Amino acid sequence: MIDFAVFSITIIAVWSVLAISLHLQFGLTGLVNFGQVLPFAVGAYGTAFAAAHGLPAWAGAGIGVTLAPLLGLLVILPASRLAQDYWALVTLGAGEIFRLTMLNVPVIAGGDEGTSVYRFQNADLAMVLALTLLLVTLLFARRVGASPLGRMLRVLREDEVLAATLGRNPFRLQRMVTAASWVMAAAAGVLYAHVTGYISPSSFTVLETFVIWTAVVLGGPSTITGVLLGTVIVQLTSVSTRFVAQWSGLPSDLVANLRLGAYGLVLILVFLYRPQGLIPERKLRYDADRL
Amino acid sequence: MLTVCDLSVSYGRFQALRSVSLQAAPGSILGLIGPNGSGKSTFLNVIAGVQAVASGEVRLDGTLVPLGLPERVAAHGIGRSFQTPRLAHRLTVFQNIMIGARPQAGERLRSLFLQPATVRRREADIQDEARSVLRRLDLSHKANDYAGMLSGGQQKLLSLGMLLMGHPRVLLLDEPAAGVNPVLIERQINLLKELRAEGRIILLVEHNMEMVCGVCDRVVVLDSGAVIAEGDPDAIRRDERVMRSYLGEPA
Ligand SMILES: Nc1ncnc2c1ncn2[C@@H]1O[C@H](COP(=O)(O)OP(=O)(O)O)[C@@H](O)[C@H]1O
Ligand SMILES: [Mg+2]
Repeated sequence: MIDFAVFSITIIAVWSVLAISLHLQFGLTGLVNFGQVLPFAVGAYGTAFAAAHGLPAWAGAGIGVTLAPLLGLLVILPASRLAQDYWALVTLGAGEIFRLTMLNVPVIAGGDEGTSVYRFQNADLAMVLALTLLLVTLLFARRVGASPLGRMLRVLREDEVLAATLGRNPFRLQRMVTAASWVMAAAAGVLYAHVTGYISPSSFTVLETFVIWTAVVLGGPSTITGVLLGTVIVQLTSVSTRFVAQWSGLPSDLVANLRLGAYGLVLILVFLYRPQGLIPERKLRYDADRL
Repeated sequence: MLTVCDLSVSYGRFQALRSVSLQAAPGSILGLIGPNGSGKSTFLNVIAGVQAVASGEVRLDGTLVPLGLPERVAAHGIGRSFQTPRLAHRLTVFQNIMIGARPQAGERLRSLFLQPATVRRREADIQDEARSVLRRLDLSHKANDYAGMLSGGQQKLLSLGMLLMGHPRVLLLDEPAAGVNPVLIERQINLLKELRAEGRIILLVEHNMEMVCGVCDRVVVLDSGAVIAEGDPDAIRRDERVMRSYLGEPA
């Protein structure tokens, strides 16, 4: 039971990092990244590539965490300034292209069969590392969100032309947010690889992106507490699928698919009735009368 | 001195501006009038860099202002308000005022993490200035309301305040009085006169002739993208051709 708790906390921490990364991109800046699984996969595959080619684990982590932001900048490059609708499709496509490449080019990291990587022998250590990564991303995101930078990112979210006429370069800010949040997601991917000890393309489908989006939208994309709450809810339902299947006697495939269906329903209901999510953005008050 | 030379803009085959030229001196208000669709907003958009241009140039005190690059134009001290105010609706009035300030150390990652003291000091200064701008606009009581909740007239005042935070030498104002109640129009007129006295260049696109005649030093009339008349407000009012184009009949 304790083992299960430790494992659950580790997994929730990893997905929380992905959620905070999406909070920065979408919740603050308004970037609709439907390929959030991509930087996560790049991190994991950096690790897998190193393992498959006899490189040390730190080199794999380095590759993943460096490659992800570069890839991010490449992906958003064609999204010309002030044309945003593009993002969703481009990022979605990029994520799939990466997965299909990993699937069909086995020399990188084993193709369909995947690759075994070093697995943390000590579950407590894995948990501590995951929580540390979460803490670092959380502090970073909080500092950014509460700063003048966070304020300008919110302006971008509302109206890029406004930001531009106020003398800001929207595309520069978007690049910065992309690079920073893709580094986070890649770090989560590295950790994930070492927690599971095995990496294959099937772990990085669009479904993963869908699960992250469900958590973020449900909890409230514009607040850190919101995305964390959403992640906890979604991941708890996910890890408990197994128990639900046992308890109900239904086949576990069916239960897993029902879960995804339920996520879809949750997304629709939230969009309709509570677009700001469970925890909405708090109003920042200033004293205007002080002299 | 703001000098605009031979600006032309086409949307496909449609010519929205035909070789428009004009000049505006510091400490003056230049009115820009004309019927709907005559190209007034397009003209302001070109100067603000929001609209790409076919040909022509804009100079401020002899320096060429880059066209089509809004973020660079702002750095030249040119600010634009929009016919339909552009605001961050889910930020408060106070925050909307603050984002007008430029540059902000706290918007750079490096300063944010390595020079927190600098960031804090700059932020405190911006807050002080925001307070005084709000007082000037008489909007202090709305400071903590969401910008999206303001009335149309208050939104126009707010976008003017946002502009002022950037200390613009040139203000491009697109129909600030449209849909605004008389009390707020009066407040705007006083504000414009103050800004003129401070030596700024103001281009005022406006249909409200009372406002135009009340504050403008000179008026340029556009029709179908071309300048058809230019002069002091009274002369323009008496110009039969202008009134015909404007109202569709002799005044
Ligand atoms: N993005 C655009 N594409 C095509 N036509 C446009 C565009 N923007 C404005 N126009 C046309 O250009 C003309 C001038 O528009 P505008 O500058 O908004 O006029 P005004 O501000 O004087 O009412 C109008 O006929 C309008 O329909
Ligand atoms: Mg107009």
